[in-house]
Amino acid sequence: MLDIYRYRDLVRALVARELKVRYRRSAIGFLWTMLQPLLTMLVLQLVFSQIFAIRLTYGNYPIFALAGILFWNFFSQSIVSSMNSLRGNAQLLQKLPVPKAVFPLATVISGVVNLVFALVPLLAILLITGHPIRPALLFLPISIFLVALFTLGAGLLLSPMAVFFSDVVELIGVMLMLLMYLTPVIYPIEIVPEHIRWVVRYNPIRSILEVFRDPIYQGEVPPLSHLAVCAAIAVFAFVLGAWVFRKSSDRIPFYV
Amino acid sequence: MPETPDDIRIHLDGVSLCYRLAKQRIPSIKEYAIHWMKGALVYEKLWALRDVDLTVREGETVGIVGRNGAGKSTLLKVISQVLKPSKGTIEVHGIISPILELGTGFDHELTGLENIHLNALLLGRSRREIQEKLEEIVDFSGLGDFIRSPIRNYSSGMLARLGFSIATAWLPEILILDEVLSVGDAAFTEKCEERMRTFHHAGITILVVSHSDKVIRETCTRCIWLDAGNLRADGETEEVLDLYMHGGHEPSERAAGQLPQTSS
Repeated sequence: MLDIYRYRDLVRALVARELKVRYRRSAIGFLWTMLQPLLTMLVLQLVFSQIFAIRLTYGNYPIFALAGILFWNFFSQSIVSSMNSLRGNAQLLQKLPVPKAVFPLATVISGVVNLVFALVPLLAILLITGHPIRPALLFLPISIFLVALFTLGAGLLLSPMAVFFSDVVELIGVMLMLLMYLTPVIYPIEIVPEHIRWVVRYNPIRSILEVFRDPIYQGEVPPLSHLAVCAAIAVFAFVLGAWVFRKSSDRIPFYV
Repeated sequence: MPETPDDIRIHLDGVSLCYRLAKQRIPSIKEYAIHWMKGALVYEKLWALRDVDLTVREGETVGIVGRNGAGKSTLLKVISQVLKPSKGTIEVHGIISPILELGTGFDHELTGLENIHLNALLLGRSRREIQEKLEEIVDFSGLGDFIRSPIRNYSSGMLARLGFSIATAWLPEILILDEVLSVGDAAFTEKCEERMRTFHHAGITILVVSHSDKVIRETCTRCIWLDAGNLRADGETEEVLDLYMHGGHEPSERAAGQLPQTSS
């Protein structure tokens, strides 16, 4: 931990580099970050409201889906990039005594920056669709912190595995897709048949997702009891991830 | 544990390091599961270091010689705490500045200047420390206007100059140089040796790996010879070099059949 603090300027530089690469590569790179969730949202809007004819009990579907997608993109992309970050920096890990966790950490932080950028089009849609803008939006920084802590934990937990086994990244890709359908990202929980609804309800990622989505979609700060559960989940994920990462970190340079 | 005298910088006690190479290359979970069930997960063990004892004191400049694959780089990696030994213990007292091989940690798309930042950050320096030394690093590297162009255009000599300038910009307590000194041109080599003499007088501990006996002779007060992971000799530079040059070509168990290393 202290080591990472000592290397904080390195983390900052890695984040800056990742963002630069992302936004420099294509002229509309920055625009793309904003457009991509919007387009996905339009597709979902079409599929869900026209084809499946889903009606929400509250508010409008585009906001619901867009907030969900922003969360999910952040979560899944951060995990996959964390897993690739150790392999991608194999050269360094084998030659310099850099604390290895700086790489997944930098990945998650740059994901947070992207998420914040992507809130801009979300706000625009809130305005356009006349969705009520509530002070609860000011709660988002805390939501994002919890979401990021949870994601960092998952990234730290999984990234060493990607070093020890070559096919884990693909496997996790499939698992993430399954997880997405087990989480009410693009559909409301009410459409899940009663007898299996508990799977979705007790999915910890749902709690984390709602901490992020409630202030935007419901315009409400999540109740304290829900917040406490989420904070516990996020801290647990982080502690578990950090512990596993630490345990395996001595072996990482031998396998990357 | 016996009390270590204050001037000990590096202390290795019975250090062995084993690389486990999977016979069937790169395990996927699927293959791993299959082989595990068959009980046929075979690893080839490669002992890169065998029971090495070494004590280096403050102010010593130690040369490390040996054939390719003798374990020199592995030893440096163990000392700089990149690799954890499989057996034995290691104690290091002081801040290490490692320059391991050419251009480690360089990003070839970035300019020299940007790489100074990146590389120094990787060595654990803060932005402020880098800002303070930036000019000096650029000056010492002697790269002039090249510092503003991407380093993919650099020659290996220029990369070495840049790497050396960065790693020696701050006074470390232990400096590790892996085959860096023999790449630059004569003028730069002269500058490096000058700087190393300064370091030596400042009481800094230096470890040098080089295939050039000239470099070792001119910079090191002490020399060790690694052979197939074993510490074959440790002592006065001249004596050890003499042993190595004359005895080093005898085929040893692992390097049998390999061409003798010619020094440049």
